Amino acid sequence: MEVLARNNVHMSGRGERAMVFAHGFGCDQNMWRFVAPEFEGDFKVVLFDHVGAGGSDLTAYDKTKYSTLHGYADDVVEIGRALGLKDAVFVGHSVSAMIGLLASLKAPELFGRMVLVGPSARYIDDGDYVGGFSEKQIAELLEFLEDNHMGWSAAMAPSIMGNPDRPELGEELTNSFCRTDPEIAKAFARVTFTSDNRDDLDKVTIPTLILQCSEDIIASEEVGKFVRSRIPGSEIVFLKATGHCPNLSAPAEVVSAIRAYV
Amino acid sequence: MSEFGPVDEYKDLFENAPCGYLTIGSDGRITKVNATLTAWTGIETDKFIGRRLHQFLNMAGRIYYETHIAPLLRMQGFFNEFALDFETAAGERLPVIANAAERRNVDGTLLFTAVVVIKATDRRRYERQLVDSRSELQKGLATERETAELREQFIAVLGHDLRNPLAAISAGARILQRSGALQEHKHLRVLDMINTTVTRMSDLIDHILDFARGRLGGGITLSRDSRPLEPILEQVVDELRTAAPQRVIETSFELTERVDCDRTRIGQLLSNLIGNALTHGAADQPVHVGAKTEGGVFELWVANAGEPIPAAAMERLFEPFFRGEVRDSRQGLGLGLHIASQIAQAHGGRLDVTSTPDETRFVFKMPLVQPAS
Repeated sequence: MEVLARNNVHMSGRGERAMVFAHGFGCDQNMWRFVAPEFEGDFKVVLFDHVGAGGSDLTAYDKTKYSTLHGYADDVVEIGRALGLKDAVFVGHSVSAMIGLLASLKAPELFGRMVLVGPSARYIDDGDYVGGFSEKQIAELLEFLEDNHMGWSAAMAPSIMGNPDRPELGEELTNSFCRTDPEIAKAFARVTFTSDNRDDLDKVTIPTLILQCSEDIIASEEVGKFVRSRIPGSEIVFLKATGHCPNLSAPAEVVSAIRAYV
Repeated sequence: MSEFGPVDEYKDLFENAPCGYLTIGSDGRITKVNATLTAWTGIETDKFIGRRLHQFLNMAGRIYYETHIAPLLRMQGFFNEFALDFETAAGERLPVIANAAERRNVDGTLLFTAVVVIKATDRRRYERQLVDSRSELQKGLATERETAELREQFIAVLGHDLRNPLAAISAGARILQRSGALQEHKHLRVLDMINTTVTRMSDLIDHILDFARGRLGGGITLSRDSRPLEPILEQVVDELRTAAPQRVIETSFELTERVDCDRTRIGQLLSNLIGNALTHGAADQPVHVGAKTEGGVFELWVANAGEPIPAAAMERLFEPFFRGEVRDSRQGLGLGLHIASQIAQAHGGRLDVTSTPDETRFVFKMPLVQPAS
């Protein structure tokens, strides 16, 4: 199916219910490599790349569509419908927490449970609201992204994009998990860090779990607590894991927290 | 026991190497830092120990570290050539290039991560300038493209808008002519003038449109067939004889093979060449027009006597809007030869010119068999 190729959807595992893992800004579905396999015994595990990341179809990247998180949320809905998902578990890391949340508002039937790993409803400070970043810092980030091209070169792109799973590409695969067209990376960073979904939180009707890391500079505890306070009936679990990527740094803790919730 | 035993040598190499070293424990906290890095940053060793690497970076670097570098390090076990900015004790930026590699136990547990930092102020500035100048160029290019597109659209629209009033004038003149209302010689001459001017104006508009079309990406499109070409050539010559009755146009056509071409376009090419010869050639000398098929090549030429084309003009002859020295009343847009050469190219052929005091000759040649492409 077109949608499944576009988003480089991979499925594995057995089980009635599906568990969809969505990666955040920075890398691709490999972010879940230590977590997703743990659920293959009980769930139909669904992994995908957002358009513009990993092995997605770069030609499907549409500047206008992906200039808001809704474009990404629409893709999640399309994937969910293409797979006939019902009552599935959505696990979204970082910005994909809000993408999944928007998708659940668009198509409430798809998901029965949501797990938000390191969510933030808004990254930039606003009055009393502490997002953790100033507008200037985000502007600097966008500029800084150009200093690291991850070895991206236009000539190389086709071999990477066409063969994300070919280990024989060896050296060329270096950084490939986090490599994408710099223009797209910059646009995705802009969408991510300028997003504001504070008003969407209280519309959520699906039971939601928030996994909050310690010492996470991207999504601080304060930010996580804000999300928890606005999503009706949501729960929060504070992880010992530090940093923004517990799915890589402390997969066991993440797995057991998800397992306990679903 | 030498004072510079191996242990001391290695210690010195670590501490005073021309690069910064630091190691990060499995809990993500810095365990060692060398003297070079503390000197570069002005941050003392005990301020580094126990803290996280990203705390010493600027905010953009911190976000990048958390979203790209840390995950990559975990997924592939190393990273190379990352640009980062340390923040020094004095609050200044220290641009570096960093490599890092995880060291793991045989059972795969993470022991520590070694990070090497190379000062790269000039290199990073240079790269920044390249990025900046590239984006400047892209901006300029985008503006340029937009302007060019607008300009060409303008020409195309203008061409169309000019045709309508001209058609009205032409129709009006035709009605007057048919009505027989004009009897006086003077009036009939005015009518002739109107018709001549309408034809000339119409040619000019055709040229503008062809030029715009050629530049709007698609180029000149051909609809080829192999029907006899000679009648078209004859017709073009007849038209021009009618338009310039006082001039002599001599023809010699020897087309023994079929020419696979767009006959209307070849007619246009010939018309432009003869028009050029009539304008610039000596008025009291005939214009020679010839066509032949020979050795797999179709050749069409137009020759006139008169002043040769100045050397300086030769180079720019086929450029759009190039105009030679002629009386104002004969002045065209300077598109005739340009369009002729475009038609030649579209046929896989070429248009050349030779000009001597004896003769100026334009020669169009195209292969009778198109190379497969």
